[in-house]
Amino acid sequence: MSAHLIAFFTLREALRRRVVLAAALLTFGYLVLYGVGVWFGYRDLQNTPGGPPGLTEGVVNLMLVGGLWSLNFIASVLAVFLSVGALSGELDQGTLHAVAARPVRRSEIVLGKFVGFTLMLAVFIGVSASLMILIVAVITGEVVGASWSGPFLMLLASMLLIGLALAGSSRLSPLPNGVIVFTLYATALIGGVIEQIGDVLESAVMFNIGVFSSVLVPTRAIWDMASAQLAAGGFAGELSAGPFGASNPPSGWMLLVAALHLAIALGFAVRSFERRDF
Amino acid sequence: MSDPIAIGLAGVSKRYASTLAVDDVTLSVAHGEIFGFLGPNGAGKSTIVKMILGLTYPTAGQIEVLGQPAGSLKARVDVGYLPETFRFHDWLTASELLHFHARLARVDADLRADRVRELLELVGLKDRADDRLSTFSKGMMQRVGLAQSLVGAPRLVILDEPTSALDPIGRRDVRDRIRELGEQGVTVFLNSHLLSEVEQVCDRVAIIDHGAIVAEGKLDELLSAQEIEIRAGEGAEAAARQALGDAEVRALNGRLRVRVANDEETAILVQRIVEAGVSVYDVRQVGDSLEDLFVRVAERGDV
Repeated sequence: MSAHLIAFFTLREALRRRVVLAAALLTFGYLVLYGVGVWFGYRDLQNTPGGPPGLTEGVVNLMLVGGLWSLNFIASVLAVFLSVGALSGELDQGTLHAVAARPVRRSEIVLGKFVGFTLMLAVFIGVSASLMILIVAVITGEVVGASWSGPFLMLLASMLLIGLALAGSSRLSPLPNGVIVFTLYATALIGGVIEQIGDVLESAVMFNIGVFSSVLVPTRAIWDMASAQLAAGGFAGELSAGPFGASNPPSGWMLLVAALHLAIALGFAVRSFERRDF
Repeated sequence: MSDPIAIGLAGVSKRYASTLAVDDVTLSVAHGEIFGFLGPNGAGKSTIVKMILGLTYPTAGQIEVLGQPAGSLKARVDVGYLPETFRFHDWLTASELLHFHARLARVDADLRADRVRELLELVGLKDRADDRLSTFSKGMMQRVGLAQSLVGAPRLVILDEPTSALDPIGRRDVRDRIRELGEQGVTVFLNSHLLSEVEQVCDRVAIIDHGAIVAEGKLDELLSAQEIEIRAGEGAEAAARQALGDAEVRALNGRLRVRVANDEETAILVQRIVEAGVSVYDVRQVGDSLEDLFVRVAERGDV
């Protein structure tokens, strides 16, 4: 088996090409900004007298969920950028030919790259989400709703995008593949908004459009599950559910849909790449 | 090594949409042979190379490599390949590239470091071992590519235009390496445009045009046919045509160019022309090289 060689190689390439360094620097800058925002926000909140009970917890939780929402967005963009030309881009450049002529199965190339990108995203999400929770804890002295399952679900959403991008990359050039994957990602995002509005307006059609978009591309639904895990209960939970999550988080079935989605995308990527003429 | 065939293609065709890139090719390369594969641009050479490696799938026919179906993992363990584009991951150093390929080629861990060092020395890149490939010239890239193709100690090496970016000294080095491989019993499949290179190192060649093999054999056999130029009186062309047939005779600047198989045929031809009552003033041999053969094939589609 050579899949681990390909995975390690993929990781090393990202490190060497400074993709990770660039992402780390930008995220660091973002976290500094975020910290400043939380610090001022929290100070203003404490200076505001009155308000319903639980307001402070609610706002702190909202800041955390909102911050993680943007990290999830950065992770999604990173996942797509990393993997969108992983197969076809390398074929176009000719760098894959010597590798593919070695005793390596094409499935090992596809799955090795998937594992490599996933590990990279796991480190990115793990480190940046932990730092964010730490920033909130240090500044506000309290962490409301932080849980490990949140970042894990964020990683799952990124894995779905990596799977989709690899499936596309088995046939399409990086540019059209990138356009398609981002369009699907945007469809899921917009589907989520339509679903929320449908929920408020009690419109079954709008609600079902949102559900359909989640089944098509479950990235947003998985984030909704993550935000539900992260959101505190009661008033705090209601506050954070609005802009960054669903008022009705998806049921556990969505995990099964996501797993199926990933399996189908990777299965397609392997099968299509195995049949491709180099 | 009971099977004497290193590469065997039987009735292999490849169709891309409406284009027939490779048309019913049957070809075999023996173990230990240095085999030259020639053809004009777009003739189907690289497609055949990729099919031998299992990178591209034939539409019809069978390909066997080292006794295994082409593309099978078992066949690939013993095959080294230098792609025509010689593009490698340029964020790696030369040494890292070879180590990566050594691992992919399943070279034992304790042999890898020595193998990599030896090969970098062999291709003259020992001093650049720790430099990134992005700083390499094209020629250096091609040399590290050659080292890469040999890192698994292959029994079969497939070199696709291995000297296209090299200077004359680099070319001579590669020719020497190919000869050494031949002496070690390694089969070499050399795909090249550089006819002198093929002429100097190959035991046998095949020429492909429009996807089909149009000439195949030992070099000396293919080149034994020669061309002669005859300056003679009027009526010589008709007499020559009568003797040898239209395809072998052409008029050029008032002289006749005739292809003959050997000296005996030259003597008979002159005799026939003289017998026809035509004076022969001058007969001289026009040297035939692989280049002549190649050009003739490319122009006419036959030998």
